[in-house]
Amino acid sequence: MTATALPEGGAFRRAWDVIARPILEFFNGVGARGYFLREILRALGEPGTYLPEVVKQMRAIGVDSLPLASLVAAFIGSVIALQTRYQLFPGIQLSVIGLIARQMVILELGPLLTGLVLAGRVGAQMTAEIGTMRVTEQIDALETLAFDPVAYLVVPRIIAGLIMLPVLTVYADVIGIGFSFLTSVIVTDVHTFDFRAGLRLGFSQFQVFYSLLKALMFGGAISFLCSYEGYVTGAGAEGVGRSTARAVVIASIWILVLDALTAAVLAPYLQA
Amino acid sequence: MRPRDNILVGAVITAAFVVLVVGTLWLVRGGLQGGYPMYVRLPWGSGIKQGQTVFLTGVDVGFVSAVDLRTDGTLVVEMRIRKQFRIPEGTTASIEPNGFFGDVDVALRPSRPTTSYIPPRDTVPAGKPAPTMAQLLARADSASTRLGDVARVVQVEMVQGGGIADLRKTLESANALVVQLSGIAAAQSRYLDRTMRSLSRTVSAIDSATVDSAVKNLKTTTANMSDLTNNLERATSQLDAVLVKVDSGGGTVGKFVNDPAVYNNLQAVLARLDSLTADLRRNPKRYINVHIF
Repeated sequence: MTATALPEGGAFRRAWDVIARPILEFFNGVGARGYFLREILRALGEPGTYLPEVVKQMRAIGVDSLPLASLVAAFIGSVIALQTRYQLFPGIQLSVIGLIARQMVILELGPLLTGLVLAGRVGAQMTAEIGTMRVTEQIDALETLAFDPVAYLVVPRIIAGLIMLPVLTVYADVIGIGFSFLTSVIVTDVHTFDFRAGLRLGFSQFQVFYSLLKALMFGGAISFLCSYEGYVTGAGAEGVGRSTARAVVIASIWILVLDALTAAVLAPYLQA
Repeated sequence: MRPRDNILVGAVITAAFVVLVVGTLWLVRGGLQGGYPMYVRLPWGSGIKQGQTVFLTGVDVGFVSAVDLRTDGTLVVEMRIRKQFRIPEGTTASIEPNGFFGDVDVALRPSRPTTSYIPPRDTVPAGKPAPTMAQLLARADSASTRLGDVARVVQVEMVQGGGIADLRKTLESANALVVQLSGIAAAQSRYLDRTMRSLSRTVSAIDSATVDSAVKNLKTTTANMSDLTNNLERATSQLDAVLVKVDSGGGTVGKFVNDPAVYNNLQAVLARLDSLTADLRRNPKRYINVHIF
């Protein structure tokens, strides 16, 4: 890469390695992903190429991930209910448990854990699939056959990710709250009425919108970042492995970053 | 594109959409059965917000569906009351705290049992609000201040004024007294035990036949005493009659006792007897003549 070509010299080279190279690599990475995004936007103009693949990817990303996302949400809901109940000191009304379970599941843990789980399961799968196609020159073959590889491989995954992660988050929210309710009523001394009263207390539709907005961003981030890492994979099977691990890490970090940014920007509108 | 994929993906997305809509409506409206609206106008600062429960005499009948802030210092609160409940005439609505941390509910309190009801969409009059948490805390603060004053006075009187030392001495004296009383009680207990043992021995030594005989004798004596008492009563009553008679001057004795003439006559008789006796001593021959043959 010309942008990171190293000048000659001892101390200067070390300073270059320590300070300037990471910065340049960062800008290089951002620029490369920017170009990739431009390619994706361009490829949206070829629906005949990507639409037939969208449903297939929606099944792989969404339907096949439903059991795992549901399992995680169920356990998280139960743990929230138990932890909240046993941390309450006497005098606090038990309806707080319903309120806390709803707020934690809908606003935070539902979309976040679904995103992280999918980053591990689906993100790795995307990177490995596209990366393998790259190292086995199938992508080059597609180009030879006048198929746009971005439209054929990346766009369906991004569309599927953008659609299916909110769908999975809806299930995760409902299952998380449902198991929180069941755990509270069956295992602890919380009454149905208490939980229901807390569940409805100070609820607004914006909370659901906030949850789905986060899921939408996480879905886009997972599919975009993991597709990119697979698309630029090199150096054989080892490179595919490295790209897969790197994709999962980057996607997970970006999910957390986006989560924090969303909370910082939209949290004031969530005040009950 | 396989048909099976289409069906699966379509089913999952459709179900998610239905769950999303139904769940959101359930959380926002408190259920899919809408209920009917009722209103109450409350002052600012009531702490009411959407989703809080509405109780009718302690029964959950609905929830707060909307709160409208008015510039005239009031909040117009819309409540959704479930269809199976109706609000009796004379009911007032007030805010009451729920728990320690400022959460509140709307409490509807009917003034009396009645079969006439406030129509839907009408306004329930606001009642006197229950004390808020801030008011309760202010009261607790005032109580704690007074308690602090009392503690200060106690500290001055008991610690600085030597009250605790006096109290301690008093307690020591009381302890000594208790010890003495315990000793006395123990000694008395020992004496009492001894007496009880003696009594027990004595009682056990008494022959029941002797006791029976003594009881019979006692009964006989008692009967004799009863007869004697009756005789005495009779004698006394007779004596009373005699004394009454004597006192009233009846009979010889009565006259003797009560008539002064009898007394005078007796005095005169005695005087003559005295003179006769003296004369007899002086002149015995005048009265005694002994003739032999």
